Amino acid sequence: MAETAVPEVLPGTIETTEEKGESSLEPGYLVICWNDPVNYMQYVTHVFQVVFGWARKKAEFHMLQVHNQGKSILTRESLEKAEHYVHQLQKYSLHATMERDE
Amino acid sequence: MKVQRTEGRFHLHLSAWEKRLLFELLRLYPRSGSPRKSAPKPTHSPDLPASERLLQETLTEQRKENKKLVQAFLADPSRFQDTKAGTRLSLSQLEVEWFLQLLNDIRIGSWVLLGSPEEKRWHLDPETAPHLFAMEMSGYFESQLLEALEGDA
Repeated sequence: MAETAVPEVLPGTIETTEEKGESSLEPGYLVICWNDPVNYMQYVTHVFQVVFGWARKKAEFHMLQVHNQGKSILTRESLEKAEHYVHQLQKYSLHATMERDE
Repeated sequence: MKVQRTEGRFHLHLSAWEKRLLFELLRLYPRSGSPRKSAPKPTHSPDLPASERLLQETLTEQRKENKKLVQAFLADPSRFQDTKAGTRLSLSQLEVEWFLQLLNDIRIGSWVLLGSPEEKRWHLDPETAPHLFAMEMSGYFESQLLEALEGDA
């Protein structure tokens, strides 16, 4: 019984696992939104919905994280995409930065 | 101000004084404030200052361009239709987003001019009072637009 319980490892399965490992090691940039005492909570939620296309529930979750914890990591992206998101958030006068995820 | 939505457009119904106030506020653009007080600088990203500088330069250029667009917008009489109660201004969804950005820029910039207070403790004098007025009034229009957008969701 012990022998039959050992899972058979197929070549295809191994390849998939390796691909995931490689992509997670790619350099990425975190897009961070910081708390401030002036922007309306309703406004911040709206901006997250527009910029990231999130549902209201997810946008509210991150808005509350910003409000309660001082910041929220909104997404992890390539440099170009992270720059794009930071720019979009700053256009709405939110304090957003990016940081290399090491 | 009352905001209605029909056929994908937002109709802002403004009384005469609201229209005057909106014009005065939009003429303040850009105030170019940024609520950046508490965020530390990234510690392990030596390549980012250049990137941030570039972003700031792009934003500055966009604000200049926006200023021209605002001036053209306010000078275009076809945008504003007279009604019995005052004026009707029709905006597309994209224009509403643009208005939100403009109004919030004025609001945040006014807050910065007030000294970026953490709490609502204003030091009011003849010089700072107009900034508080601009901040609160742009907040008024911003809230109305957000309510309309939420009602749409």
